[in-house]
Amino acid sequence: MIWLVLTVAGGIMGVVAPHHLLTSLLSNDGTDVWKTMVFFTVLAAPVAAFVYSVAIYSLIGWRHRGNQDEPPEDGPPIRGNGFVTGVWLITSTVLVIVLLVWGLSVWSAQQVSHPDTLQVEVTGQQWLWTFKYPGTGVESRELVLPVNRPIEFDVSSVDVTHGFWPAALGVQVDANPNVVTVIRTTPDRVGKFTVRCSQLCGLYHSFMYAPGSVVTSDQFATWLQSQGATSSAADKEAQVSQS
Amino acid sequence: MTTIEEAPRLEETTLGPKAGGLYRRQNIFTGLGFGIFLGFVGWLTAHAFLQSSNWGTDMVVTVTMVGWVVGFNVGVGTFNAPIRWLLGHDQSYEDELYAAGVGQGSKRYYKFCTDHKVVGTQYLVLVMVMFAIGGTLAMMMRTQLITSHSSFLSPDSYNAIVSIHGMLMIIATIIMVSGPFANFIMPIMVGAKDMAFPRLNAMSFWVIASALPPMLATFVLGGVDAGWTTYAPLSIQAPAAMDAFSMTMITFVVSVTVSGVNTIVTVLTMRAKGMTLGRLPIFVWGSVVGSALSIYAMPALLLGFTSMVSDRVTGTSFFVAAGGGTGWLWENIFWIFGHPEVYIILIPPVAAMMEVASTFARKPLFGYKITIAGFVAVGMLSIMVWAHHMFTTGWAPDLAGPFMLTTELISIPTGIIFLCLIGTLWKGRIWTRLPMYFVYLFLWNFIIGGVTGIYLSDVPADQYFHGDMFVTAHFHYTLLGGAMIAATAALCYWFPKVTGKMLNERVGKVSFWMIAIGIQATYFGQFWEGFQGMPRRVAYYDPIFLHANQLTSVGAYLLMAGWLVLLYAMIHSVRNGSIAPANPWHSKTLEWMVPTPVPLVNFLVDPVVTSDPYGYGEEGSEGYVSSHSPPARSEDELVPLLSSDYPISGGDR
Repeated sequence: MIWLVLTVAGGIMGVVAPHHLLTSLLSNDGTDVWKTMVFFTVLAAPVAAFVYSVAIYSLIGWRHRGNQDEPPEDGPPIRGNGFVTGVWLITSTVLVIVLLVWGLSVWSAQQVSHPDTLQVEVTGQQWLWTFKYPGTGVESRELVLPVNRPIEFDVSSVDVTHGFWPAALGVQVDANPNVVTVIRTTPDRVGKFTVRCSQLCGLYHSFMYAPGSVVTSDQFATWLQSQGATSSAADKEAQVSQS
Repeated sequence: MTTIEEAPRLEETTLGPKAGGLYRRQNIFTGLGFGIFLGFVGWLTAHAFLQSSNWGTDMVVTVTMVGWVVGFNVGVGTFNAPIRWLLGHDQSYEDELYAAGVGQGSKRYYKFCTDHKVVGTQYLVLVMVMFAIGGTLAMMMRTQLITSHSSFLSPDSYNAIVSIHGMLMIIATIIMVSGPFANFIMPIMVGAKDMAFPRLNAMSFWVIASALPPMLATFVLGGVDAGWTTYAPLSIQAPAAMDAFSMTMITFVVSVTVSGVNTIVTVLTMRAKGMTLGRLPIFVWGSVVGSALSIYAMPALLLGFTSMVSDRVTGTSFFVAAGGGTGWLWENIFWIFGHPEVYIILIPPVAAMMEVASTFARKPLFGYKITIAGFVAVGMLSIMVWAHHMFTTGWAPDLAGPFMLTTELISIPTGIIFLCLIGTLWKGRIWTRLPMYFVYLFLWNFIIGGVTGIYLSDVPADQYFHGDMFVTAHFHYTLLGGAMIAATAALCYWFPKVTGKMLNERVGKVSFWMIAIGIQATYFGQFWEGFQGMPRRVAYYDPIFLHANQLTSVGAYLLMAGWLVLLYAMIHSVRNGSIAPANPWHSKTLEWMVPTPVPLVNFLVDPVVTSDPYGYGEEGSEGYVSSHSPPARSEDELVPLLSSDYPISGGDR
């Protein structure tokens, strides 16, 4: 009875809570995160509820009441139970296999590279992000993505390790110096989000974030054009300031 | 074994200086003095010889810290016996008695003392000092985070506090059970008269004690700004504090390795008659598995930090991309240490807590053998899961699947340990004393910590949660809500044996509820922040995270207040508590069969063990120690053994 109540409570929490707590998710991978949270919580609820209900029932049913002296008699000498242990082992093994299959299938689906992928070069440095769109000459401090088009992020760093983390897209990868790491995703909803840094990277780690947005493909094309004009000027400016 | 009869003969045949002299004047203050002196010598030397080189501050700090650690340990007496041997002498019997603290009253707690009970008590105090410092740092962080852009701390001091809070708490939790209880209690549990290597035992304590000042010195050396994981290349560029930090870690490795070897050898060679491996209390098994994992994991940390120092001081480039190295190498080395470390922290307290569960449920341990199998399996799997900390680093994406497999497999033996715990409670005559409260709190917390760990083991979900507050909440639920609460159960359980006084449970229960509620508020708040997408280790944050952070901060204050109330209860009980009987819980393990305070040689008569110690509710269960070997000593000799000012037999060699 305790078990049923707790299981149902856990299950409901699993279905409802992630939806309210997670940031608004803008990609298929973000949706996968949400689904995974719901699925795992619903699976975990009966197991957790079982442990809690055994512990609570023992406390209610057989607690030694009265003063704080030692219980007058000992409990029954149960030294183990092969059947219970076996059922427990099989259940947990099956659960692990289910989790693994779920995780691997979601993971492998993410690894597929699609045609017509938009490449974005992401560079982290202390303490800002730069996004380049190869072939267009556009370089920006803002991450703008077209909706419903596969994106490939090529992530690198010019100094220390940073963590490229557009949470709303449900993907994340570190930016390491001298290496390019790759992640893929497909935004499927229009909206705004924030790119944050997920690896401690020094003094102003807290301030290493960049605005991001998913826009329609028309808006994206317009944005690219408007950036194309300004970014070549910005390039020159940057060269001047570097020298 | 040194017995009374052999003692005079030993004294005649060994050489050594007479009573008195420098040897007899060493204590923590000579240690401090000589440590500061040698540190200063190191500082001068480094300055004198290295001025012209470009190694600079890093070399000076490193040499100074080496000087401090070596000087402190020479000063406190860690190396007395080896130095003696180098000079061609052995320790005299009198020296051994002296080193064991005979006739020194409470002064022996401030000295290099080979008595395992003194070492255990010293560890207990050290762990509490570390928790007090680490907790204060946590309070400073939570005060900073109570508003989104607080000016309480500067960003660099915030980063320094984050890093030192992390590593200090990791060290404190690693030694919180394997220090106090594996030293004080475990040898008595197996029927030994001391640890196998009493001097190494004392050494493990004083070495780790000498590691604490360099760690605190980081705050005046510019602060460690790279987090407790000190990822390269940020840590290579960090201020000179990083050199002191590395020295702390290297010293810590020495201590934990020595203590791990000592624990294993003690269990393998010092057991009482009849104490077969199958009759060992479960806490002994937990200590052995934890120690074995230490011996596996610590060399990786040693390798990592010596390479780190080398990169910083001598210009090698193991972890510097510009010089052909890679930060991923550091990350691998660190986590090869870092994941077994989680179970080095967790297994001994959980094993200790199972003793508590069995005693207060008045039932045998459920599934003794599968519990051991669970511990061993967790330990073995834990050395194969390290790269789940690196799912999102971009390193070896093809290994995501295998590491997801090994990580999720760990939940099977962990589940077995849970089953044994609730199986022990089932139908038990549950005796609701304070230690049992903490067992229930452990169950509640560790389920939450475990389930959230499964989310993180899933690579796609980890892509969302890695590096954010969800991870912080998860491992605080397992390490604080799990391991530390289990250790608190063990502390309340063994408090009467260690201090000789009963713990004030009225105040203790007040602290329990404050701690229990504080944990839920603090870490639920952090889960909330994690869901919303707040990164870890930030001093300033987006105002959208404000409410979750305020909940966390309030919860954290309550939690800290709860610990302080528990500390008050303990100090008050040590001073004014009622005298504890030898076996207040009517438990069956050997440590409860010896008098309180425990005599120097633990056992007045050598115990002979005839069954395992979990015979609650069984016929003839009184017979755990059913027969004794005939007393080796006459009545007159036994009487002084009972006094707390141990007059007999020293180091157990």
